[in-house]
Amino acid sequence: MTEGNLVSQLKAKDKAALSYLYDKYGAALYGTAMRIIQDEEVTREVVQDIFLKIWDKIEQYDAEKGRLFTWMLNMTRNAAIDKIRSKEIKRSAKTDPMENSVYTIDQQNNTEIPVDGIGVKELITDLDQEQQFVINKVYFEGFSHSELSNEFDIPLGTVKSRLRSALKHLRKKVRN
Amino acid sequence: MDIKDYIASGILEAYALDDLPQEERAAVETMLDKHPELREELNAIEEGLEALAMETAIAPPSGLKDNLFAALDKEHTQEVEETQPETKVIPLAPKKSYLWNYVAAASISIALVSSFMAQDFYSRWKQSQAAYADVINSNELLANQNNKVNRLLDQKEKDFAVLANPDFGRVDMASVIEGQSFAASVYWNKKTEEAYLSIQNLSNLTEEQQFQLWAIVDGKPVSMGVFDLEKDVLTKMSSIANAGMFAVTIEPRGGSVNPTMDAMQVAGEVG
Repeated sequence: MTEGNLVSQLKAKDKAALSYLYDKYGAALYGTAMRIIQDEEVTREVVQDIFLKIWDKIEQYDAEKGRLFTWMLNMTRNAAIDKIRSKEIKRSAKTDPMENSVYTIDQQNNTEIPVDGIGVKELITDLDQEQQFVINKVYFEGFSHSELSNEFDIPLGTVKSRLRSALKHLRKKVRN
Repeated sequence: MDIKDYIASGILEAYALDDLPQEERAAVETMLDKHPELREELNAIEEGLEALAMETAIAPPSGLKDNLFAALDKEHTQEVEETQPETKVIPLAPKKSYLWNYVAAASISIALVSSFMAQDFYSRWKQSQAAYADVINSNELLANQNNKVNRLLDQKEKDFAVLANPDFGRVDMASVIEGQSFAASVYWNKKTEEAYLSIQNLSNLTEEQQFQLWAIVDGKPVSMGVFDLEKDVLTKMSSIANAGMFAVTIEPRGGSVNPTMDAMQVAGEVG
């Protein structure tokens, strides 16, 4: 099925098209969300909401602005990032510093285990340290360019160009 | 601005990842309309993002798709109920016995409850499976760390046995280069002829170089092996008898047959 066909069937509210979309991209979007959220229960919710949103908002998708997958990917990333942000705000608002540090450790442990388990680490091993850092923060942990620039004191232009070279490299790699 | 520089700045990646403020987005879109090669590059970037997401995909839990479509049907029925007027229901025939109705109703409820429970247990089972995998992972991590610590402890115990053994004499080697604070020691057991090396401070080496330890026996240098700059451990060197002096030189990686005298770093006489 071409992307154009798929989009027009979705716009015609064809459930078979949504089912096809889920079978084809569900795992990719689930993986993306899971890496940011690190919690299976919350990831399920977010991914289900995303597909309902795709179903409801397909009219708003504009093929001129980019591919269908990019649209879905960004919706997923944004929803996942919103989710962890709201969780963090809730937590830090009512916990004392001690509990906070426990939470941080928890988060750190969390990021290591699943990411290792799924081979992302292997995928990015031949990037240099700086590229690995940027791709991890931006793509897998959901930092925005400017947050990364501010928090780690890297010029915004450098963040952008490092992310570009990292993605370019990965692009070549995953195609082979 | 040169198109190549524009691409190299990484702004298209930021655009593709929806990471630009509104006005910058609009500026990128204007550029995209003007330059087909930018459109081409953006497309390649988006394909790359898709490939990356596909490559790092994780299969969603199996109930998710069913839940999704159940939620979709619910939304859909609500809409239908809201828009369509109620249909008139005409009873088919007067009922004679109510007993069978109760039996039927009961069995339907039982079926509903048990299918709900089956679904519920299935999803709980799935969850515990995932939790179990996490536990195995962290267990493995701990076991690895434990092994590392054990190995380190073994090494330290061995080192300590050498240091605590009165048969080992310590021969300090001091810098032979003026103005440098290089220092290393040889722990040497004259009875068993075993020798261990401990580095306090030596110069940094290039990748092609290695240190070589020499013993001077009857006025002649005898190689005791090569080593790299590794502090905080005792390194076992070749056994040696009747040494009168120890010295360290810098040699090409792998060592030399005869010491390069002007590359001598430290030396010390056996007291």
